[in-house]
Amino acid sequence: MGPGLTSPTRPPSSLPSPELQRTPSYAPHADRQRSRQRPALRIRTKLLLLILALLTIPWMGYKSVREMESFLLEGQRQALELTAEGIASLLSGRQDLFSGLVGVPEVVGLAYHPIPTELKESLPFEASGTQWAELLGPLADYTGSGSYECGTEFSPESFWVRHAVGISDEYFYALFDVVDDIVIYRDPDRLKLDHSDQVRLTLESPGQSPDRYLLLSRKKEGRMSMYSMEPDWRTPLTGDSLTIVAAEFKREKTGYTVRIRIPEDFIGKSARLFFEVIDVDDQMSREIRTKISTSPVGSEHVGQVHLTTPKLAELIRPLHLRAANITIWDKEYRVRAQLGSIFPEGYKPAAADRPDMALLDQVSALTLDVMDWLLRIPATDDLDSVTALNRLDEPLLQHSMREGKSVSELRRHGGAKVIAAAQPIWAEDKIIGSVLIKQSGNRVATIKHATLSRFVILFLSVFLFLAIAIGVFATRLTYRVTRLQRETEQATTTDGRLLQDYIRSGTRAGDELGNLTRSISSMLQNLGQYTRYLEKLPDTLAHEMNNPLNVVASSLDYLEYQHRNLVDDKYLNRARSGIFRLRTILTSLTEAANLKEALRNEQSDEERFNLVELVTGCVDGYQLSNPSRAFLNHVPTSPALIHGTPDRIAQLLDKLIDNAVQFGRERSAIIVRVNELPNIIQLSVINDGPSLPKELSERVFDPMVSSSTDARHSHLGLGLYIVREIAEFHGATVTAKDRGDANGVEVTVSFPK
Amino acid sequence: MATTIAVVEDDADQRDTYVDVLMANGYAVNAYADKSSAQLAFRTTLPDLAILDIMLGQDMDGGFDLCMELRNQSQTVPVIFITARDSDVDRISSQRMMAWDYITKPVSLEFLVARVHALLSIATHLQSPELNATVLTINELEIDENSMSIRWQGQRLNFTLTEFQIVESLARRPGHVKTYDALIDVTRQGLVEKNTINGYIRRIRSKFREIDTGFNHIQTVHGTGYKWAQD
Repeated sequence: MGPGLTSPTRPPSSLPSPELQRTPSYAPHADRQRSRQRPALRIRTKLLLLILALLTIPWMGYKSVREMESFLLEGQRQALELTAEGIASLLSGRQDLFSGLVGVPEVVGLAYHPIPTELKESLPFEASGTQWAELLGPLADYTGSGSYECGTEFSPESFWVRHAVGISDEYFYALFDVVDDIVIYRDPDRLKLDHSDQVRLTLESPGQSPDRYLLLSRKKEGRMSMYSMEPDWRTPLTGDSLTIVAAEFKREKTGYTVRIRIPEDFIGKSARLFFEVIDVDDQMSREIRTKISTSPVGSEHVGQVHLTTPKLAELIRPLHLRAANITIWDKEYRVRAQLGSIFPEGYKPAAADRPDMALLDQVSALTLDVMDWLLRIPATDDLDSVTALNRLDEPLLQHSMREGKSVSELRRHGGAKVIAAAQPIWAEDKIIGSVLIKQSGNRVATIKHATLSRFVILFLSVFLFLAIAIGVFATRLTYRVTRLQRETEQATTTDGRLLQDYIRSGTRAGDELGNLTRSISSMLQNLGQYTRYLEKLPDTLAHEMNNPLNVVASSLDYLEYQHRNLVDDKYLNRARSGIFRLRTILTSLTEAANLKEALRNEQSDEERFNLVELVTGCVDGYQLSNPSRAFLNHVPTSPALIHGTPDRIAQLLDKLIDNAVQFGRERSAIIVRVNELPNIIQLSVINDGPSLPKELSERVFDPMVSSSTDARHSHLGLGLYIVREIAEFHGATVTAKDRGDANGVEVTVSFPK
Repeated sequence: MATTIAVVEDDADQRDTYVDVLMANGYAVNAYADKSSAQLAFRTTLPDLAILDIMLGQDMDGGFDLCMELRNQSQTVPVIFITARDSDVDRISSQRMMAWDYITKPVSLEFLVARVHALLSIATHLQSPELNATVLTINELEIDENSMSIRWQGQRLNFTLTEFQIVESLARRPGHVKTYDALIDVTRQGLVEKNTINGYIRRIRSKFREIDTGFNHIQTVHGTGYKWAQD
């Protein structure tokens, strides 16, 4: 026997950390779980964002409808131009219709259309107001039309105007019958002229600033003074009174009358004129109390003078055009005839405000408004403001007559569209007038609206359907992927141990995800088989070694049996001790390998028992078998009940104590502690001694991992592995860490309650 | 005629050792290396006792098959399994086949001889029961030490030799704790883990409970051992 074999131990230095060499080294990835989750859009969000791309479809639809609309409007414009051209050629060469002499003038406030009475002969200016009234025809109420500027205290009894206008070959006549409770005359001491009851006359010729004339009286009866005025109506341009217009003032019982005669030459061929009647009631302050005007918009805007030619009107009557307004103008920009209205038939202006509605109605009305705004529904109300667009007529006419050619334009006002076409009327080489046709473009807009609303409904249904379909699909997909991820993660622990060798759900699906699930499942199965093979390996190895060991053991027995003198032989005993150590190794290998199966078989033996009682009993036993060590039993006085197999928990405690005894400092105390927390019961074994080696702290519970380098004892590192297996079988977790208060290690098993 | 013992073991070294030691103790020994030769021999002559290895060459359960065959021919011939397989599954299988004992390798020859003696004596008692049998009675437990049989509430329990010895040692001193070390000595096997004792106790309890579901006389003293609790 060589000297090397006589020593039962090999020097530890020859095996630098043999345990690490023994175990296939791998780094546990505690942060693996965390690295899987990255901030990013989820599949469902991505797909839903993709749905938003569908919104380009309505945008395209809207665009094409808009294109169609402008195409239709263009067609309508051309049609209007053609019509205007037709009318113009019909009227070409008819200077007779456009003579200034044949016309019938009208004073036109925009909402006020008095037609002057045609008089056969001049009206005697000296005749009384009553006579005038008889000759000019019935007096029109001034108060019911036009605009007012007055205080809130105004009452019709206090100020009321009726009037009539007439025209003869030479003169334009106007009669104002004014009801006024307090008549204030001009105060000659005052320089400013806006301090008395008065009549204002505004004349506007095309392209010129308006001329303003003030008519006022100093006494009860007699001629009125007339001044040309500054735009502020306060100071006269010249101090001289004008005499070209004859005006007579007469105080009546209820107020006063004013008779005005204006030579036609003074008005001019294309001028527009309108009147304002001013009422001052306070003798002292002499402030203007009320203004009544023929213009609905006050003095800023001037009404028009129509010079109607009845024959012309007769001529164009058959040219009726739907929702169109045809006007014939002479070259002085006076309307000679007009036909039709721009408003569609049966049009009624909408009520200005909505009466009290139920809240629900209001909400639905609001929704409709939003919808209308989105779709640009031609609001019929806006046709009212079309009237305001009349101001735009003149530049168009001017353009047309100056250029001598057809001009057309599309006007927008809010949601309303108006197409206007002007065509000059020729007589020989001269332009004698112009035709203006205005037609509402709302018919096209209505078609557009109908198309759009059908489109919107269609699109909304398709969009909703697709959104729901993709949403459901995406949710399902996300759910399946999440489920697969969860099950895959649950199949292994963070330190790479396999807990489950299959994927339960989603393996029957026929799509790629199903294939992936099946691949992962079969991968886990292969891994599981390999793991089981590895787990079985120690057992198989032990079994194979037991037979030759038995040969050695029984041969030694037989040797002893045959040769009684060898009973206490040193070498025989040494061989027996070697066999004993080998058996110990094999037994612990077998125990660990069979543990899982054994635990499963014992599941029926599980019961609810008091951990405190078990620990107390066990610690007494440890104290008996290890008299050199002090065992401190830190347990609560109340019972701590857990569910499991008491024998196995005792086995777990045995292993923990073995570990503590082995690695603890000689003669140091070992503390066994039971701690009851709200949800868990902790069983800890604490020993003095060296700390856990850093490189092992994650792996002490893995099989065949041990920090021991003492070759005299077998340390397969299976003790803590058995602890973990038993703990996990009982749904408990087990952790090992360095003691906080002193050098040493604390192993804690946390059982669920 | 000498008592005949059949040894079926595929490992020649082990087989020869068993044969040598048994022959030295005065038994006639027939040794077989495989299942088929043993089967052939058992059809003509039954041994008085059979020692079987479970794994015979490539045949993983050859020993079990042989045991079944022996049981078909005789309900009483004692069978001892000596095997390297140390698992509960195999232990339970052996019990189902009414094997009398299950010994894991490596086995002490002294222990083996003692077992063979004991089992043969039980077999003899079973064949010719003595009228003045020594029966120990504790509560409803009757222990017949000659036939090594145990009755609970009058019904016979089917225990292996080791199980019988454990129950007997517990019941002999009711109320006294038998430590794990004491129980390991009782089993007379060289190296036994505490958990192996736990396994024996578990199987013993379940056998009692097959007869009496409320059986609770064998009590655990955590960390120390077990005791027989008297009423």
